[in-house]
Amino acid sequence: MTSLELRNISKGFKSGKVLEDISLSVKAGEIVVVFGPSGTGKTVLLRMIAGVHYPDTGSIAIDGEDVTDASPEARGVGMAFQNFALFPHFSTFENIASPLEARETPPAKLKEQVGAIARMLKIDHVLGHAPRELSNGQKQRTALARALVAQPKVLLLDDPLRNVDAKLRYEMRLELPRLLRTFNAAVIYVTQDYKEAMALGDHIAVLRNGRIEQWAAPGDVYREPISVDVARLFGDPTINLLPCKLEINGTGSVTLLGRRAPVSGAYAYAAGRDLIAGLRPEHVVVTETAAPDAIPFDLDAVMPVNVRSVLYLRGPKGEELLATVGETEAAKFGRGHRKVWVRFAPSDLLLFDAASGQRIAPQVH
Amino acid sequence: MNQISTLERIIRGVLIALVLVFFLFPIFWILLMSFQNNDQILRIPPSLFFEPTLQNYLALLTGRLETTAGNLDIAFMRNLGNSLLLSTCSVLLSLALGVPAAYAFARYKFRLGENIAFTLLSFRFAPPLLVLLPLSLFFKHLHLTDTYIGLIWVYQLICLPLILWIVRGYFEDISPDIEHAYRISGHGWWKTFRKIAIPLARPGIAAAGLLAFIFAWNNFIFALILASASKQPVTVGALAFVTASGIQYGQIAAAIVLSVTPTLLLALYAQRYLVEGLSLGAVKG
Amino acid sequence: MAQLVLDSVSKTYRPRGKEPVQAVKRVSLDVKDGEIVALLGSSGCGKTSMLRMIAGFEDVTEGAIRIGGKEIHTLPPAQRDVAMAFEGYSLYPPLKVRENIGFALLRERGASADIEKRVKHIAELLEITDILDRYPTVISAGQQQRTSLARALIRRAPVSLLDEPMSQLEPQLRAILRARLKDYLIEHKMTTVFVTHDQTEAIALADRIAVMEKGELQQFGTPAEIKQSPSNLFVASFIGEPPMNIFDAAIAPEGNATSISGLGPSGQPAFRLKAPAAEAINGKRVRLGIRPHLIEIGANGSADATGKVITNHWLGDQSHICFEIGGCSVVGVTDKPIGARAGDELPVRFPLRAVHLFDAESGRALAHGLGQR
Repeated sequence: MTSLELRNISKGFKSGKVLEDISLSVKAGEIVVVFGPSGTGKTVLLRMIAGVHYPDTGSIAIDGEDVTDASPEARGVGMAFQNFALFPHFSTFENIASPLEARETPPAKLKEQVGAIARMLKIDHVLGHAPRELSNGQKQRTALARALVAQPKVLLLDDPLRNVDAKLRYEMRLELPRLLRTFNAAVIYVTQDYKEAMALGDHIAVLRNGRIEQWAAPGDVYREPISVDVARLFGDPTINLLPCKLEINGTGSVTLLGRRAPVSGAYAYAAGRDLIAGLRPEHVVVTETAAPDAIPFDLDAVMPVNVRSVLYLRGPKGEELLATVGETEAAKFGRGHRKVWVRFAPSDLLLFDAASGQRIAPQVH
Repeated sequence: MNQISTLERIIRGVLIALVLVFFLFPIFWILLMSFQNNDQILRIPPSLFFEPTLQNYLALLTGRLETTAGNLDIAFMRNLGNSLLLSTCSVLLSLALGVPAAYAFARYKFRLGENIAFTLLSFRFAPPLLVLLPLSLFFKHLHLTDTYIGLIWVYQLICLPLILWIVRGYFEDISPDIEHAYRISGHGWWKTFRKIAIPLARPGIAAAGLLAFIFAWNNFIFALILASASKQPVTVGALAFVTASGIQYGQIAAAIVLSVTPTLLLALYAQRYLVEGLSLGAVKG
Repeated sequence: MAQLVLDSVSKTYRPRGKEPVQAVKRVSLDVKDGEIVALLGSSGCGKTSMLRMIAGFEDVTEGAIRIGGKEIHTLPPAQRDVAMAFEGYSLYPPLKVRENIGFALLRERGASADIEKRVKHIAELLEITDILDRYPTVISAGQQQRTSLARALIRRAPVSLLDEPMSQLEPQLRAILRARLKDYLIEHKMTTVFVTHDQTEAIALADRIAVMEKGELQQFGTPAEIKQSPSNLFVASFIGEPPMNIFDAAIAPEGNATSISGLGPSGQPAFRLKAPAAEAINGKRVRLGIRPHLIEIGANGSADATGKVITNHWLGDQSHICFEIGGCSVVGVTDKPIGARAGDELPVRFPLRAVHLFDAESGRALAHGLGQR
């Protein structure tokens, strides 16, 4: 049963068009992440579902019922805002109770439901406090509790972990999916952090320039990004992008960094085109000694990152390359400023059309 | 890091004292005058020492003035009552109209919105004398001359712009997301206005109301032209002390003290809110 | 370029009418010539006060600061020959971006063609070439920050001070800009001190990190030392993402070995490890720490415990799995995708060499890695 359905939503403001032809549907119990860099209209989309803005064209349906023109209070949606938006002059208890109070829940039942959700989110000991006395983490949980308490069919979460410190953000990233699944609501979660998107979403809608550029499961967006821009948004460090040309002489090959890398003949249809080859840092193999097919590079800096290290490499023509290697391996390279050799597996290459930015896939006949 | 030398401190103290004397002296002198009779006031050289008398206050309170030329009826207490009535009603009316209008200006950006808002503010800047003549003609036509309703209506020119501009700033400072959250929770727009917008803007509304009261109380020209003696506020009523038999300085001073005291006390009590209201304190969501 | 030494430096703020606040408590650091040092800590730990004292915008309450052997803490900022990139950017509004960046060089009266070249080079490095002719008020916060950084770096001053240099940067640019920054600093042998609350940035850029909390220096060491031998519980849990798993633990002798039991929330044992005897630790109340990526998941051979999977996230290049072991929440990280779903059980091993022990009361580290296993 689709709990939430958006069809052909468009929205423009005086400053320009923000959203164009957005369609998606979310089932009960499903988490859809709307992902994109800042300013792409993700928040506007969420607010239209909530009823704060109205779309120029298109329709919104909740549980089969058309709510496109309905006022916010009539939609039965729960929303948690990025800056919490708690009522400063109400206590934490009253904040959470607000949706129940709007539905005229009898006081005893109201108290019970607020207590239950506060316990679940571990804020039952601060129910009597005013919002300004709470820590950021507690404020965020209060905002969540308020969104969830009336068991809404649709739950909208606007980058709720943005204003919370790194350690807490990681904890919440682990806790949230479990929490959300107990409510069985259709969830739309907005974020700019790709790791959060991959951790939380059943599906990811990548929003760019007001349109959904890709709609796929997290692993698929990472492995098969639909365009250069999407590939750049997923992955830390960012994917390496190098211009190359595709030649077909019997089998296909791309000339990359001065070497020929064989590619499947199924790319034949793209022969002669200017391409951009994408190579993820974890797929770049760096060795201390020369090897067949390896290209000499200058290792200019070594940056440890948690358990691995990022190597900053510069090629003979000034090309920049980032490679990720394990901690123990990185120890061999010291502080850098030495020569190394770089290899990669051609099958790890992602090929994109240089003009359109779209990924080209091998054509299967 | 910076040490303020003792010399600087002394100079600062002296300068502040001078400024205070400059501003407060008239009030102080009038206070003294109100306890003196005419002879003592007009004595040369003027002296700080005298025998205080409550005669002036008595005359005002009882409404009877005994002069060398005979007895006069002073309607001061009635004037005080008029001031109170006019100011209070004007402020209440302007709040009832201005607060929702301020909310509309803050939340709904419509075409010409800024123009309308600025026009309303410009009423504060326009010299009243400019509009008095046409206004008095209109009033005669509408039979509003010498009515409380007419005066309260005209006083909106003083009170309404103030309310609009101060309260609008307060509403703008409230994060719209707070109201959105309340509506999404399931409450209608009127309840949101009552339970969220107004409580959060309360300091601003109080400050604007107080300020409007003070300005309305101080107004002179509208009541002078558009009302008769029975509706006069204290500002106009003070003119009555310029009598045929001479100027009763003592009573004028007492009248001034009694007129100024309510608003002075109000301002002192609420000065914190006034400063806050005028500097548009932020309410963060 | 120059060696920077902080000698027992303290800073006390005395706001009028309030209690004095000791922001920095007797911190001593020596930054070698050409070294990159990070001041790392959460907000309010004193790191920004330290930086401002080195720059000269705050007085030193006690102690001394020396650059190249010369005492500078009594000199006004302009005479210290220190370059600074401010957290609030502090750009000159009437000057274009390129003029802002080149401002200090004009003072040094270099040839204008040379200044142009250097401005262009640093702008390319920080990806701000397209805004060189704009004014500070119309560019984004991230671009303002990079302009401020460019302005400080171009000077190649004896000591460079950077206050949260990359906090506003978009995630996609972070890796490459960090790399270029590090390369630039190393190439020009610039002694640099930078302040950050982001431990990933500190570990990526710094040769050594000074971890601070509540005005006190907790540890000053290389990223490897801080990760592998944190001096106390605070440093151990501050560094690393995901954070180190910490358990209460009970130590008891068992024959000629020691048994270490990790305890669950209500005190019941969740898992047990066997280590060679260590009398110094016996009987003490301890906390046990182990980093997520060093936990062996799905190990063949002896397992220390069975974990019930709560969440399993594949992030494209690593798996983050949250287990429940005896009531404790444990996070493990591995490079391969693990095909387990919520509720599945997986064997889990805690290699002894990855175990850290901390005193339960003071938080001080007792042991890093136990025995040979």
